[in-house]
Parts: sequence; C-alpha cells; structure tokens
Amino acid sequence: MLKTLLKKQLLELNRSFFYDAKKNTARSKASSILLIVLYALLMVGVIGGMFTFMAIGLCQPLVEMGMGWLYYALIILIAVFLGVFGSVFNTYSSLYKAKDNDLLLSLPVPVGDILVVRLTGVYLMGLMFSAVVMVPAVVVYLTVAPGAGAVIGGVVLTLLVSVFVLELSCVLGWVVAKISTRIRHKSIITVLLSLGFLALYYYVYFNAYQLLGSIMTNADQLGRSIRGWGYPLYLMGRGAMGEVVPLLVVLAVVGLLLAVIYRVLSRSFLKMATAADKTVKAKYQEKVVRVRSVRRALLGRETGRYLASPTYMLNCSLGTLFLLIMAVLALLKGRDVFLMLGAVFAGGEDFVAVLTALMLCMIASMNDITAPSVSLEGKSLWIAQSLPVKPWHVLRAKLELHLLLTEIPLLLCAVCVAAVSGVKPLEAVLLVVTPVVFTLFSAALGLFLNLKRPNLTWTNEAAPVKQSLSVLMAMLGGWALAIALGAGYYFLMDRVSGAVFLLAAVALMLAAALVLLHWLRTSGARIYAQL
Amino acid sequence: MLYIQHLTKRYGEKKAVDDLSLHIAPGEIYGFIGHNGAGKTTTLKAVVGILPFEEGEITINGTPIKADPLTCKRQLAYIPDNPDLYDYMTGSKYLNFIADIFGVGAEERQERIRKYADLFELTDDLAQPIAAYSHGMKQKLAIISAWLHQPRLIIMDEPFVGLDPKAAHTLKGMMREVCDQGGAIFFSTHVLEVAEKLCDKVAIIKGGRLIRAGTMEEVKGDDSLEEVFLELEGE
Repeated sequence: MLKTLLKKQLLELNRSFFYDAKKNTARSKASSILLIVLYALLMVGVIGGMFTFMAIGLCQPLVEMGMGWLYYALIILIAVFLGVFGSVFNTYSSLYKAKDNDLLLSLPVPVGDILVVRLTGVYLMGLMFSAVVMVPAVVVYLTVAPGAGAVIGGVVLTLLVSVFVLELSCVLGWVVAKISTRIRHKSIITVLLSLGFLALYYYVYFNAYQLLGSIMTNADQLGRSIRGWGYPLYLMGRGAMGEVVPLLVVLAVVGLLLAVIYRVLSRSFLKMATAADKTVKAKYQEKVVRVRSVRRALLGRETGRYLASPTYMLNCSLGTLFLLIMAVLALLKGRDVFLMLGAVFAGGEDFVAVLTALMLCMIASMNDITAPSVSLEGKSLWIAQSLPVKPWHVLRAKLELHLLLTEIPLLLCAVCVAAVSGVKPLEAVLLVVTPVVFTLFSAALGLFLNLKRPNLTWTNEAAPVKQSLSVLMAMLGGWALAIALGAGYYFLMDRVSGAVFLLAAVALMLAAALVLLHWLRTSGARIYAQL
Repeated sequence: MLYIQHLTKRYGEKKAVDDLSLHIAPGEIYGFIGHNGAGKTTTLKAVVGILPFEEGEITINGTPIKADPLTCKRQLAYIPDNPDLYDYMTGSKYLNFIADIFGVGAEERQERIRKYADLFELTDDLAQPIAAYSHGMKQKLAIISAWLHQPRLIIMDEPFVGLDPKAAHTLKGMMREVCDQGGAIFFSTHVLEVAEKLCDKVAIIKGGRLIRAGTMEEVKGDDSLEEVFLELEGE
C-alpha cells in the first residue's frame, strides 16, 4: 500500500518531466531525458557550481586550522536556510491541501500512510534545495580530508539535514499558513520578501570574498560563538567529518524530533486536511462608485491582474525597480562615474553618451510586461471576447500598463543620468529619447510575440510568465537590439557622431515600433478576437 | 431578435454545426438541447461573437454579428458553461468593471447590484476575491453581471449547473421577467424537465444538425420532452 502511494507521489512530483501540460500529452522519451539533463545541469552545474566555489574557498584553510567542523557547520547553516526557504511556502499546501486528499481519504488507506507520503514529498522538495549545497561541500571535503568515516558522515548528514529541513518546514509552514490567512496585500508582501531575499543574495554574492576573508580571520572567535549559540550545529559539523558519537547524537535527536512531529501531525492530519479555510472575510460595504471610461476600466483590469501576481511582478518588471535604483545612484555617484568615464574615454564623449543610452535601454528591456499578458487571460479570455470592446482596445490597455510602469521610472532615471552626465545638450536629449522609444518598441514586440505564441491552457501562472517563449524572446530580443546598436556604433564611430547615430537609432526603432503597432491594431486584434 | 441562418462551423474537417437555422423572437425563452458534443456550445459561442464561423449568418436585431460585432454585443449578455471569471478581482470589482464597459451609470448599477446580489444572497461575499468563490457563487456572479446592463438578448450555456434550488428558482423568475419585458433568452440545458416547464420554444440538435425545433407543443406533442429527446437520439 505505502509503496503504491509513494510511487504515485514521486510520479506527481516529477510529472512535468514526463507530461506536457501545454499540449496535454505525454512527453517523448527523448524530450523527458533532455529536460531531466537540463534540470540537473541547472541545479548541479549552475547553483551547485556556485556553492562548490564557496566550499573550495572555505574547506582547505579551515581543515588545516583543525576546524573542519566549522566548515560543515557553515555549509549546513546555508543548506538549512536554502532548504527551508525552498520548501516552507509549499509545505502547508503539500501536506493538507493536496488535490487528491479527498480521494485518498475515501479509499481504504490508513491516514498515517497518507501522511508519510505527503511528508516524503516535502522531504524530497527540501532535499532538492539543500543537496545542491551539501553534495558539493561533501565532495570538496573528501578531496581535502579523505576517509571512510568522512564518506559515511557526509552522506548521512546530507540526508539528515534534509530531515531537519522537513521538521523546520512543518513547523514554519504551519506558522506561515496561519499568518497568511490574516494578512491583506499578500502579493505585495511576497514581492517585498522576494526582493529582500534577492538583495541579500546579491549582497552575499558581491561580498563573498570579504565574507570568506572575515570568516578565516575570525575562525576561532566564530567557532567559539557557534559552539555557544548553536551547539547542535557544532555536533552536526563533527558528525559530518565522520566522528561516530556526534553523528549518533545528531541521528537520535533528529529522529526523535521527526517521531514527535509525525505523532502530532498524524493526530491532527484528518482534521486539518478536511478543515475549511478560515480566511479573514472582508466585509462588503456599499460605496459611492466612480464610473470609469472603457479605456480606464480596461487599464484597471490589467493593473489588477499585475498587482495580484507576485510571479508576474517579479519576473516581468524588475526593470522598474532597477531604473529607480539607478536614478538614485545617478544622483549620488553619477558625477564621479561620468568623470571617470570621461577620463577613460578621453576625447570620446560621444561614445559615453551612446553607451549610457544603450545601457538604459538594456535595463528597460528587463520589463516584459506585455510578453505574457495575452497568455495570462487564460480561461477567462471569453469575457474580453464577449464584451462590446474592440480587441485593439484590450491590447492597447496591455501596452499602456507596460509603458506606464517602464516609461515613468525610465524618464526619471534618464533625466537624472542626463543631468549629471555632462554631455552636450543634444546628446542629453537623445539620451532620454532613445530609451523611451526603445521601450515603446519592446512593449509592442512583447505583445506581438505573445499573440504569435499564446498559451491559454496553463494551470499555474508561472507557465506563461516563466516558461514562455514569448517572454524569453522579448527579453533576449531587447538585449540583442541594444547590443546590435552598440556594435553598429563601434563600427561607425569614426564616420558619424554619437548624436547622429542616436538620431538614426531613434528613427529606426520608432519606425519598427509603428510597424508593430499597426500590426497589433489590424492582424493582432484579429488574432486576439479569434484565440 | 436573433436570426441564425444556415450556420456552419468546422473544426478542421469535422462539421461541429451543420447548416443550422433558428429564429428567436422577442418575448421567447428558447431552449437548446442535445447530447454532449452535439454543437450547442459552438452555436452559442458563434452567436455571441467569440467563435468565427465559415458559412451562414447571425443577426441580432437586424445587425450581423460578423459585420458589426460591437453593436450586437452591446445588446446581449453571455454566460458560459464554466464561469471562469477574473480570480484576482473581488465580486464587487468585477461587477463594476462590467458596468464600466457597458456604460451603466453609478446609481443604476448600485441599485441593480444591490437587487440581484440580495436575490442570490451574494451581498456579503462581494468584497471577497473571486478566487475564494465556489462554482455556484461564480455562477451567481456571472448571472448578476449579465443582468447588469439590462440586455435585450441573453445567451446562456447550462446556466443551472452549480446553482442551489433557491438560486435556480430565482433565475427562472428573472428569465421570465426579461422575456415579459420584450427581451429574449436562448439557453442550452441537459435538464429536460426545466426546459419543458420553462421554455416557450425548443430546438434539438444532433451531430451539429437541427433535428427538431418549434413550440414546446409542436416538438413534444402529448409525450414528455424526455421521451421525444430519447426517441430522436436513438434514430
């Protein structure tokens, strides 16, 4: 029985490798293998690779100082952090809100077995994240201090860390679920938390060298400190090195914790899995309504869609945030940067102006709001199609949202940059106009691509936002255009001035944008009406 | 009110609707019945201008849907078989969005929202996101939104699915009221008892072709609609 259920759970977890939701068919063997290989490359090669470099930097010196346990303690800390971050937000729904809960509970299956299966799913999810830290760290350790004990310790700790992640995820997942039913503006909070995590990630990434140096310099003090506030980490570190007693103690404690959590959860599982959601119900109060024009109503609809989805906001409008940050940085440090650039490219002020304009274009092209906007209509497309509005007007609202969220911060940023750049007045104007026209083009391009490659049959909005060809092509297309313009200027800089080049680029992009806009009004609108 | 003349819709080689002609006059509740895949939804979607069709013509109050879809859409309301609404909006925001599109004034919309939400006992839930609605609540919201601009023609695909008995009774009353005021309703259903009691006229479709249409008496005679339907399906 348990084996059958586990098989089902594994199949469910790995469903996307074997089933194409877009085409509603099974993937071919070759395509499944390719996907698995690509995924493994991403996890092991890219994310794991990053942690390998970190492990290499830490391991040898700490082992030589006789503090191998501190190396593992730091690695375990990161693995637990990443594992919990990766699984905590899904734990509650994986445990209690699985779609097949009612089906399984109606079958002659012991509740304990269902819980084991659900916990296995959460465990594997945590393992996936923590293993990309642990596995390279163990391998690096074995190259520095090989030994049978270290192999056993490393493997056991890798598996145990994920059990610990599971335990933390169960407790924190429950807390997150309880809090999330009581807060409003969840999507904004999710975006802020994600941006915070992103900022922390970049801070650590850009300061890794100093952080490693600081750990090495203060290894003794850090070790004493960890032994004080994080004694379990100390034991885990020693266990991972292959020391038997600490390993057994960790094994016993983690096992005991798991038994307690299993017992508590199995007692409450049925009640939790069948409980109705106690969300805070907003009370309806009749207010004086403001009648909006069709244009504003359609824009309001697009804005509502955008603000309701952290996935959409985070993946398709990071450019807005970066443009605002750039505007502030330009005012604070811009003058020094332009003085330095002026010194580096002495006599090539034109080059600086063109380079700056194209850099602004590249930042603006991080916004791909229009690229998944048609796909995001999904199954509710019938509403817009059956309402008395021109299809072009629906498409125009999508363009307007993109332009509002990109052009306003872009103008702010470009004006700040132009003000401190010290370039000639005409070039300063072009420095602003070029990315503005570029944004018009990229908004139209995103919509064009999405109308050509829509995906309306998604079950999770991450599919059209993260995995769609139109988003990828819109982003790469924007970058490619900026790079092509840069390359063009490089070859022409002896013959034309920066201002003339930027004027030509503006004219070219404006013409392309107008062609795309005409297509959207005619063929695009027809395609949208018949999707 | 609604003329469907020689409508043919193909999906590749397959004819989903084949040379279908119907006339729905003002004041009529017109039922549309047929087995699964008979072509009911395809016909309804073509009528409301969602689905393009190859042959035939559909006119609403004399305006062809192909030539002037906006004029047609302003006069009608559509409720699909599965009310996939905007999950990210609250019920009240959705109703106001629809009212904005149809240009319903502030006072009229408030009065209608109050009236219909109370009728369907949905008032307390209007501030909730649609994502939190059950199927039946979504169906009620779709019905309220359809009635908001007082359309002349209402097209509904299986409107009673998911509704509780009280809401179904309310909807029947609202349908009759629309028709008594000179409007018309064209709807599909599998519930033959409802069709028999509610409809002035009925059309039966099989394999995309109309096999019988007319007043309820003309179609069923002395038999029940169920008997006639099963007999025609068996032929």
